Amino acid sequence: MRKFTLSCLAIVISLLFGALILWLMGKDPVAAYMNLLQGSGLMEKARYSGRQNMFTDFMSFLDAMTPMIFASLSVALAMRGGFFNIGVSGQMLAAGITAHMLAGVIPSRVLVVLAGLLAGAIVGALIGWLKSRFNVNEVVTSIMLNSIIMYVITFYINVFYINPVSRQSKAVVDSARLTLSGFRWENLKMDIALAFPLAIIAALLLHWFLERTTYGYEIKAVGLSPKAAYYAGMNVNRTALFTMTLSGALAGLAGVSYFCGYLATIQPGVVPSMGFDAIAVSLLGGNNPIGCVFASFLITIISKGTVYMSSRQHIEPEIASLIAAFILTFAACSAVLDRRKK
Amino acid sequence: MSEPIVEFRHITKRFPGIIANEDVSLSINKGEIFALLGENGAGKSTLMSMLFGMYEPDEGEIIIRGKRERIASPRYATQLSIGMVHQEFRLVSNYTVAENIILGLEPERKILGLFPSVDIKKANHDIAELSERYGLKINPEDVIENLNVASRQRVEILKMLYREAEILIFDEPTAVLTPQEIESFLKIVEGLRQGGKTIILITHKLNEIKAVADRCAILNRGKLVSILDVATTTTDEMARQMVGREISFTTPKEPAKFGEVVLNVEGLTVKGSAGLDAVKGVTFTIHSGEVFAVAGVSGNGQNELADSIAGLVQSSSGRITLNGQDITRASVRERINAGIAYIPEDRHNVGLVLDFTLRDNFPLRQYYIPKFSRKGVINEAAFDEHGKRLEAEFDIRSSNGMDTITREMSGGNQQKAIIAREVDMRTPLIIFMQPTRGLDAGAVMNIHKQIIAERDRGAAVLLISLDLDEIMDCADTIAVIYNGGINKIAPAGELTVDDIGLYMMGVGKTA
Repeated sequence: MRKFTLSCLAIVISLLFGALILWLMGKDPVAAYMNLLQGSGLMEKARYSGRQNMFTDFMSFLDAMTPMIFASLSVALAMRGGFFNIGVSGQMLAAGITAHMLAGVIPSRVLVVLAGLLAGAIVGALIGWLKSRFNVNEVVTSIMLNSIIMYVITFYINVFYINPVSRQSKAVVDSARLTLSGFRWENLKMDIALAFPLAIIAALLLHWFLERTTYGYEIKAVGLSPKAAYYAGMNVNRTALFTMTLSGALAGLAGVSYFCGYLATIQPGVVPSMGFDAIAVSLLGGNNPIGCVFASFLITIISKGTVYMSSRQHIEPEIASLIAAFILTFAACSAVLDRRKK
Repeated sequence: MSEPIVEFRHITKRFPGIIANEDVSLSINKGEIFALLGENGAGKSTLMSMLFGMYEPDEGEIIIRGKRERIASPRYATQLSIGMVHQEFRLVSNYTVAENIILGLEPERKILGLFPSVDIKKANHDIAELSERYGLKINPEDVIENLNVASRQRVEILKMLYREAEILIFDEPTAVLTPQEIESFLKIVEGLRQGGKTIILITHKLNEIKAVADRCAILNRGKLVSILDVATTTTDEMARQMVGREISFTTPKEPAKFGEVVLNVEGLTVKGSAGLDAVKGVTFTIHSGEVFAVAGVSGNGQNELADSIAGLVQSSSGRITLNGQDITRASVRERINAGIAYIPEDRHNVGLVLDFTLRDNFPLRQYYIPKFSRKGVINEAAFDEHGKRLEAEFDIRSSNGMDTITREMSGGNQQKAIIAREVDMRTPLIIFMQPTRGLDAGAVMNIHKQIIAERDRGAAVLLISLDLDEIMDCADTIAVIYNGGINKIAPAGELTVDDIGLYMMGVGKTA
């Protein structure tokens, strides 16, 4: 309850802050914020281009939100288990490229999901193993792995898998893509995120898993007090390894729903920022799986609504990113505040 | 009569669900040793925390040196020359004594008249002088992590003196000390008073109050019961007022009826954290229906002994058998299942997951048995029912019932919760490691009764304690540990406190 209040407070303060900036720039904050909602398909726009309406906007919104849910779940689970998984981006990339390669051979959506799950899990497990076996700090290994994975993938894409026109990787075939792109229904054309229901199920399942199973109980005990967990007869190292494997698997799902869903390509040389944003989203959601869904919803409104806002109000998209950054910063602060009050 | 230096007037402090202090008025004179006596949760620490600026009272006022003050922070309290030594010391363990003491008040000097730097030489010199003046025997250049608990406490005292504190508050200062250390601590306190300081002791050890304090205030459930002149009051009278009922200091018990051998330890050797042998070839047996008490000065291998029997630390040689079953190499969980309950010394970091609710802490060592979970799915109703039963049976008090975060509970109730959890497992062997450290007389008596009840139910009890009174009160058999070896094992009736004291110091080493 406290966490909820603090998160709400973080959002309100940052929105007010953003409004102040917009106002100082001589823009109308209310209109700008309405544009964010309109751009996310949550409010009716004044005018739509052909085959578009509020519903199609909303479907695109869900498409953008799906990987964010997975990524924040990955962070939240790791946090609960005492890990700071700053390597979600690397795990996403690993999952993305694995799925791309596999889809080139056998184009199947199920295989794409499984490949992502597995690739992410392997990277997560590596981090967990280094921690539990050699006590190497997971923050260090995961940051390093982010770079290592990114460069290996960049090399691979540039050499074997480049689309020379777009300077991106080749696109994943439509039959293996987790987003039905340009799907026609009635007179509308939309993107359907097939993985969205999976993300919601994952959040519910993870919540149940943490609160109602002995494995969740062990993860939380190890996360809060490894010494007490050991005294309780738990296998602390195995639990830690398991936590990171599962966290990696969730990051892998974020990876495939991002690189083989929301996007169809991987841009070489870039570590996706979603893995880092997910940390703040998870904090905003109180490291609670259900909270993560709501926090992802909120952050996606801003990231997704930005384009429309900047075009309507002639505001640089950076300003919207700035507001999103405010929310995330305040969210992080509120999490710290919560801890200090104890 | 000297003038009052601190006055509390009608102080009331509430926390959610609890009134910590209710209309407390008392005044403390300059240059006296004033003791605050009361059970856990009686509101002693809260009252003093207000004096030290960690909380502000909801009602009432605090007068310092005749002037009404609003003490909003420890920083301001320090300006008013009030100092406090907390139960848990606040020292940076890889800094030297001097570095710790000057932290925040570093004496500066300018290199080449320009670049500011910390004048550590001056600090070392000043601190050595202070230490000398009050007989604290502390070398300012020692690193904290190499010092024992008693020395660290003296560093905390020096820290207050360095800040020129006039009013010194000690929160349960002797809870972590051995009898010898307590004696020298009391001498130090006496010396501080002669140096003109005013001293406030928060404690529930009556003997210490009797030994040094001038007056003592007794609190019970947040209310001031009385203020007594220590010289003219007996300890029995103090105890009676503190708990609001008569208490006796010896737990009534039937003669022990020993049964079969439950625990057999043979030549047990355990390495300590430094890699040296902390327990050296220890051999003993405990029978069903026996309280086997291990006495000794702190740091002679007690922790390692308890941890190795409970399975938290593996032994390097020797054999441990429980009811004939060899458990030398068994894991913690295997030992729980074999029937070892363990109340560890460190109730905060080991005995409880402090950020769990009370409900989740009770099944901590049993959550996997069919009663609490099936196929990995937790039976919440069983968690809840189990917790509520233990809460009622063991009189565990918390502000929010099963949903209370254990971190927010008082130390005594945390310990009660651990003991409730372990006792309720009804195991053939139960290990109590320092079970009453820092607890008040009422709680101590209760725990001693439970130890005896465990024995009478037929359990083998291993009690490891630094508190000789506790050992004398509960033990059927007494063993003395010194330097990792067991120096003496004898039936309780055959040893006097003085004998044990000698064995504890390593005198009369027989085998």
